Amino acid sequence: MKPAWRILLGKELLDVARDRRTLVLTVLLPVLLYPGILLLMGAIVAAGTQRLKNEPLVVAVVGQATAELLARKPVPEKTTFQAQARAEAERLLRDQQIAALVEAPQNAAAELEAGRQVVVTILYTKRFDRSVEALDRLRPVLESINTDALELRLEARQLEPGFVQPVKADAVDLEFQKDLGPLIASRLLPIVLLMMLILGALYPAVDLTAGEKERGTLETLLVSGARPVDVMAAKYLTVSAVAVVTALANLAAMAATFGFGLSFGGKATTTFQLSGGQMLTMLACLVPAALLLAGVSLTVASTARTFKEGQSLMSPLMLVCLAPALLSQMPGVELNNLTALIPLLNVALLIKASVLGNATLTQVVLTMGSVLLFALIALKVAAKAFNSEVFRFGGTEGWRALFGESKSAARQSKHR
Amino acid sequence: MIEVENIVRDFGAFRAVDGVSFTVEPGEVVGLLGPNGAGKTTTLRVLAGLLRPASGVTRIGGVDVQVEPLQARRQLGFLTASTGLYDRLTGREMLQTFGRLQRLDEQTLSSRIAALSEELELNAFLDKRCGSLSSGQKQRVNIARAVVHDPSAYVLDEPTATLDPLASRDILELVQRAKARHKAVLFSTHRMEEAEYLCDRLLFMRGGQIVARGTSTELLTLSGKQKLTDAFLHFAGATA
Repeated sequence: MKPAWRILLGKELLDVARDRRTLVLTVLLPVLLYPGILLLMGAIVAAGTQRLKNEPLVVAVVGQATAELLARKPVPEKTTFQAQARAEAERLLRDQQIAALVEAPQNAAAELEAGRQVVVTILYTKRFDRSVEALDRLRPVLESINTDALELRLEARQLEPGFVQPVKADAVDLEFQKDLGPLIASRLLPIVLLMMLILGALYPAVDLTAGEKERGTLETLLVSGARPVDVMAAKYLTVSAVAVVTALANLAAMAATFGFGLSFGGKATTTFQLSGGQMLTMLACLVPAALLLAGVSLTVASTARTFKEGQSLMSPLMLVCLAPALLSQMPGVELNNLTALIPLLNVALLIKASVLGNATLTQVVLTMGSVLLFALIALKVAAKAFNSEVFRFGGTEGWRALFGESKSAARQSKHR
Repeated sequence: MIEVENIVRDFGAFRAVDGVSFTVEPGEVVGLLGPNGAGKTTTLRVLAGLLRPASGVTRIGGVDVQVEPLQARRQLGFLTASTGLYDRLTGREMLQTFGRLQRLDEQTLSSRIAALSEELELNAFLDKRCGSLSSGQKQRVNIARAVVHDPSAYVLDEPTATLDPLASRDILELVQRAKARHKAVLFSTHRMEEAEYLCDRLLFMRGGQIVARGTSTELLTLSGKQKLTDAFLHFAGATA
């Protein structure tokens, strides 16, 4: 004959599997929504970039000297140079009727001939994209004029091009030079996976505790042939299972999306294949994290009397749990033997390190050990909550009663 | 047999149950009456092991509820107006789950479900999800859930409170059948006609204590009233 917790676990899993809201949250959302959002985002960014490239822009040219200087090179595509006085050009720029203005000094040509520097002003604004695009079109023109002038000067003095820049820094990113996939994945995955793990734990935890209290089914369970600890064990495993499935569905959806490849327009493309080792590393931290979050969310949700009350308790809990994921993206915050001991932060950092290929076995073991230890503590508190009358009837005695009840119960037992 | 000996239960400084004692013999239906806040539900919850008493002893079939709660609950069928069903499970799945929790083997469980389906006329909707059932159908499934393990004692806390007369009839028939089968039935209600019709003895609670006990005739004599409703008001401290 099956133990009571297994009978209850079967019942809980059947119940959860028939819950449309849970299915939407755990399967549909990650499988459809997130890849959809990422692909759509990529398409929108690419389309926007292309639209700007094709947009006709008017650039004001202030003064004859500027016009002569710019005339040394072809006008950029889809761009019209328009002669304007400086004050009028600034007004037109502020009114967004032109995209930028260019102004060179009156004696620009003579200064160049004399071998001196000419400062050409490009007035633009970051307030609208067309102006930024105009800057992007003007820069190559001026750089080309600069290169021509420099070549003439070097030729006249019979110097090599390297003379003007004896040392040139050429920073080459070995991993990400062409593909932004791993970089973007290392930013997105820790936040998305932890967020979905938290969501996957919180909703069923509230439904299986406060929701059941409200529907009267918890009392039905507690007067059955099951001990509170059996009831708790079944709910704990159910919440953990839903959280893990949610995280895995998200991981699979993300992996498929990155594997398929995203394009953000221009040269920015992202492809990223998760290896078996990386998947295993992530599982090694996500499963213990699911156990930890299941214990914490069950404990907190069990003090609520209604589903609505449970949801309001979950909002601050979600923020607290999400903070480590956001912290993991801060500069200088990396996985080391110390951060590997901080629950949830270590999970986020391990996911990040795993994507970037930096995770060591020691860090994986430390992270797993730390999260499992905290999961055990959460489980113990959850078990205490389920033995508490505050949990059963949502009494008015609150958290103090929840954590102090054993002593008072023991005192009461002595009196009997 | 249900035995309650001098139980006391406090909620903070408030004493909800104060030295309540009574017994319910096999084949006997005892009604627990009293105004809201009298301590009836707390007494029944202590009896079901849902609340711990500060002092006193409760036994079901001779088993101490506080010492051996699982053994005691195997002899207890507990039904209240608020005990709910799982909307996403079918009636059959409910009965199977709760029967298994009461350690019934599969053969016994199948025959119990078949018998209860016949007795409570569940066959037409036993394989439908509980969420799609009418309140009367839900109540019948809930009755079957409470007694699927064929307990020796029934504790029913205002089970007809939210039901229409038709659904209430199922409960009253359950109590009558239980009595005929020598079950000990403790029945809490606010409906005096139900108490008068069903109960062999009545216990009247007020302020956490039993202030009157006896048959309905004895309570009428004791209160000097003609109707049980008037006797209720008399014992509740209101003028009839």
